[in-house]
Amino acid sequence: MLADLGEDCRVMAGGTALMLVMRQRMLNPSHVIAVDQIAALQGIDWDDREGLRIGALSRHADLACCDVIKTHHPVLAEMAAQVANPQVRNQGTLGGNLCYGDPSTDPPGLLMALGAKVVLQSSRGQRVLSMEEFLLDFFATAIESDELLVDVRVPPMAAGSHAQYTRFKRTAAEHRPLVSVSAVAQFEHGHCQDVRLVIGASVAVPRRISQAEQFLQGKRASADVATQAADIVAQAIEPLSDLRGSADYRREMVRVQTRRTLQALFARWGSLKESA
Amino acid sequence: MPARRLLSDFLRDDLHLTGTKRGCETGTCGACSVLIDGRLVKSCLSLAVQAKGRNIQTVEGLQSGDRLHPLQESFMNCGGLQCGYCTPGFLMAACALLEQHPRPTEAQIREGLSGNLCRCTGYTQIVESVQQAAETMHGN
Repeated sequence: MLADLGEDCRVMAGGTALMLVMRQRMLNPSHVIAVDQIAALQGIDWDDREGLRIGALSRHADLACCDVIKTHHPVLAEMAAQVANPQVRNQGTLGGNLCYGDPSTDPPGLLMALGAKVVLQSSRGQRVLSMEEFLLDFFATAIESDELLVDVRVPPMAAGSHAQYTRFKRTAAEHRPLVSVSAVAQFEHGHCQDVRLVIGASVAVPRRISQAEQFLQGKRASADVATQAADIVAQAIEPLSDLRGSADYRREMVRVQTRRTLQALFARWGSLKESA
Repeated sequence: MPARRLLSDFLRDDLHLTGTKRGCETGTCGACSVLIDGRLVKSCLSLAVQAKGRNIQTVEGLQSGDRLHPLQESFMNCGGLQCGYCTPGFLMAACALLEQHPRPTEAQIREGLSGNLCRCTGYTQIVESVQQAAETMHGN
């Protein structure tokens, strides 16, 4: 049906995004396919070699309280517990969230930092894309109109790796992040190795900031290093500018939030206290 | 039933259960919150057909016989409402919250109610109402 109807047909999982855009008359599909009863798209499993398989229909609330995730990727559960509000976490799914391509949301950036991949299925076959390949632009992903996102795969963390996710909201009552920062790193005797640093929400599509990652390579985890890396990040991004925040404001908040995120990561795992 | 019928419209217009309110109808205000199989959702973001075969609890189902639910009592006692339009949504959200956290902290209450808007009370009395109900239901 998806293959036959193409763009005129939309897939609905939790419905929190699709119902909204249909009510606002931004989309007016002739057919809506509800996939919420498909068992194959559900469930969360762990494999020691492959890592996590998260069925696309897993709701944010499922991720937040899932023991397998809390054990192997606790940062993912912490992030999921913050998405939007309780009602949306009970209703919205991870697969739906990713396919919507909304920049102002939590999961895509962290999944990119964790090296996650999405599995897309159609009658033509299966494709596995990295988050970088999948997320193309503002509300645009690489999914074809006949494809269904079936799984999200998150590889195991490398031994000695640690992750941190934080976000900034303009007011306490906002449900969507203005800035999100995801950092994954290893520490050897207090020195950073293999850093993955992703900025989301303030940019059209989450992206790794390679200049900052290279700067951090081998550096001793310290408050100064966190500040310098944050300055590099603030220069490297092209912020969105809209009613929720101008480009200048977002750039400054990205700087602040990156510094705080790295400091938190260093304090937790990189023995910042000794070096500060 | 037409496939396009919203759950909130189905409850109010077809079943005449008008306790559930339509507020913003864009998933912002939470006035239409109901429990589906015990999970708190916004019924304006759900299609009625999606709830087929599921257990839907609305504000009408909170009281047992003539006895109000402790949350309904405490909202009255603590002044947890003024105009009352948002109250059914808050009651359902508070109900889900107390199921998850029988003795919630203030922060847990505020987080648990963060999907619901009230433009009258300033929230303080709503938080107090939930605290009082938690004491009544589960002690200190």
